[in-house]
Amino acid sequence: VDELLEDDGSPRPISRELIELLHRIGLDDVRERQRVSDLEILTMGISFTVYSDGQNIDRAWPFDIIPRLIDGDEWSMVERGLAQRLRALNHFIDDIYNDRRIIADGIFPAELLDDSANYRPECRGVHPKFGVWAHISGSDLVRAGDGLLYVLEDNLRVPSGVSYVLENRAIAKRTFPELFQRYRIRPVDAYTDELNRLLSSLAPDGRREPCIVVLTPGIFNSAYFEHSFLAQRMGAELVEGQDLVVGDDECVYMRTIQGLERVDVIYRRIDDLFIDPEAFLPDSMLGVAGLMRAWKAGNVGIANAPGAGVADDKVVYAWVPDMIRYYLGEDPLIPNVPTYRCMYDDEREHVLANLGDLVLKPANESGGYGIVIGDRASADELEAAAESIRADPRNWVAQPILDLSTGPTLVADGIEPRHLDLRPFILTGESSYVTAGGLTRVALTKGSLVVNSSQGGGSKDTWIVDTNHLSAHQPAQSQWQSQSQAPSQSQSVSD
Amino acid sequence: MALLSRVADRMYWAARYIERAEDSARVLRSYGDVLADLPTSSSRWSPLVSISGSGVKLPAVAGSDESQVAQFLIADREHANSIVNAVESCRENLRTCREVLPREAWQTVNDLSIYVRGAAVTSVERRRRDRFLARVVDESRRLDGVMISTITRDEVFEMWRLGRYIERADMTTRVLGVRAASLLALPPGTVDEFAEVQWMGVLRSLSALQMYQRATRGPIEGPAVVRFLLFDHRFPRSVAGCLAEMRTSILRLPEYSTVLGAVEAADRQLRRSRPAADDGVALDAAMDDVQLALARLDNVMHEQYVVH
Repeated sequence: VDELLEDDGSPRPISRELIELLHRIGLDDVRERQRVSDLEILTMGISFTVYSDGQNIDRAWPFDIIPRLIDGDEWSMVERGLAQRLRALNHFIDDIYNDRRIIADGIFPAELLDDSANYRPECRGVHPKFGVWAHISGSDLVRAGDGLLYVLEDNLRVPSGVSYVLENRAIAKRTFPELFQRYRIRPVDAYTDELNRLLSSLAPDGRREPCIVVLTPGIFNSAYFEHSFLAQRMGAELVEGQDLVVGDDECVYMRTIQGLERVDVIYRRIDDLFIDPEAFLPDSMLGVAGLMRAWKAGNVGIANAPGAGVADDKVVYAWVPDMIRYYLGEDPLIPNVPTYRCMYDDEREHVLANLGDLVLKPANESGGYGIVIGDRASADELEAAAESIRADPRNWVAQPILDLSTGPTLVADGIEPRHLDLRPFILTGESSYVTAGGLTRVALTKGSLVVNSSQGGGSKDTWIVDTNHLSAHQPAQSQWQSQSQAPSQSQSVSD
Repeated sequence: MALLSRVADRMYWAARYIERAEDSARVLRSYGDVLADLPTSSSRWSPLVSISGSGVKLPAVAGSDESQVAQFLIADREHANSIVNAVESCRENLRTCREVLPREAWQTVNDLSIYVRGAAVTSVERRRRDRFLARVVDESRRLDGVMISTITRDEVFEMWRLGRYIERADMTTRVLGVRAASLLALPPGTVDEFAEVQWMGVLRSLSALQMYQRATRGPIEGPAVVRFLLFDHRFPRSVAGCLAEMRTSILRLPEYSTVLGAVEAADRQLRRSRPAADDGVALDAAMDDVQLALARLDNVMHEQYVVH
């Protein structure tokens, strides 16, 4: 399905204004607007870093000016579904590091923890504020051939991309000012304020006007632009590990020109294993020795909490619908993609017998690395994947090859459909916040399903459009409700 | 919130690098201009390499060849102080402290860096050089303008000013040490018919010609030029003027006593050079001493605010 066009190629009601405008101004003008936006991205220095040929290259951010539109009513349901999902995931993480009720009750298999790459025994018994571990998360959504949105994966460690949501919008406003007058598009700018509020709430009790820092691995990190952007928008300090020190009083301090100053909350954009050489990798140069002690003593808030990644695992993912039912007593509002877990004999046999029809995913890779798409892989690649699955079944899952939705995209030959996904960002603390839309990523190569910017993907602005005034449009709510009543497909697979 | 030491250091260096690029562009522009007025035999480009004060040495033969010197000063990637590298170093330093910068400031340096990267190589050629150098000077001024008009007068701003002024003071002493000293060093009694042209060039390379004329209302004479560029504290590119600006900035920073002491020491060193204004050899040596005092100041600031 296409996000903007009906099957017969006519515009959907929601996209009529946009499509009419594109026709009216013509391809040359569309290209001209694209060129202006490219130039703006270059001079504004909106970039991302790719590591290639032994060099870090700061590349201009790839942005396709034709937006992706989503109906406001559908989005309201997505917002509730994501907030629900993150509440359940946070219950799960807190439970795993404390009481382990979900294991005792036989819902979640204990053996999965033993060799989970992101489980941190050092976090046992810690009680972060509000019981929340994954404060900032990004869940990837895809629309499949049946027209429904599914959650493809949850990123609970250090998801990136939100700065581009805000930058894309700034550029889109200048690219299509006439459309911002015609459409009611939900603004996205509130995110950094909400983030600031959330981070402030994580300060140790009694700390007024808490000092918030963003901890970056440094300029060579692919998301450095974003770290800097978020610090700037929040008025927070952007720090590197060398700027921080843990004192004898187990408090965290930063080195300023006036000496040491107490830090209350750290938004860390460094992986768990690197944040504290004392607790984890001893030769990490990026972290701060003693940070875990300070955190456990309650002297500093860390977002996301160390260990939150335990639920960010493509195998654990398969249990999320169960977690929602177990912890919240609710049915999932957004379904999972059906997932075969190779740790179970029957599911693995099914996977090995149907390699060509499945997407094979290693449990703990990110950025799209290590994924094998059955119908595009060579026989040798499939055999190698089968080999890996047999050797380490716990760390592989498989999913049907989804027919991802497309969106009209400006390419060399004109405007053509390209596959999309969507990463909204969810803030969870005392309450929840979901970005209005998120980062739409687009696979620029014809037919490709790989949307990662490190692998040649582009991006689009995502417009959540309130359509109450568009008479022709019917809200899609009924679809959602019928979906949420049905048992999710992953459930039927596992039973 | 207090300023992070690392960010302070990067602001300071960003300012030094952009000032370095701007000053090199000014010097190179005016030098080309002066040489056009001189007979070919006295066309010598090597002093420019000395002024740029870099460790990298051009081969002796190449040192007097215009296009090689221009290439070295503008586009040489191996030369840390070439304009292309100085602009890039400024950008890299600012890229790592964007969170404290006005957005327009980042865009200005980013724009300049895109331009310089694209145009440096082709701008070595004399025909295109002047436009390129003028643009470098303009953009550097624009960056200062953005800072002055949009940034809060806090420690970030003071670090920026300190970087600008220490680099500028340093460049003024280099120009005087190399070019003025060689002009003053002519044997007594010989008359260099081109002296005035060259002294004008010295003033121009520091954008000081008009202000000199307004201040002295007199002819262009070597010792008067030297005194103006060293001691007229009302002129913002004079060494005394730079030191006065630095003093103002330092008084707004925390724990400044040792740093202030180092500025005063540089100022004393500067005043000691007063008798050298008439004597080329002495002037060259006196400028070396002022440069050393500035280097000590740089060191003291680093100790006080960065490594402590």
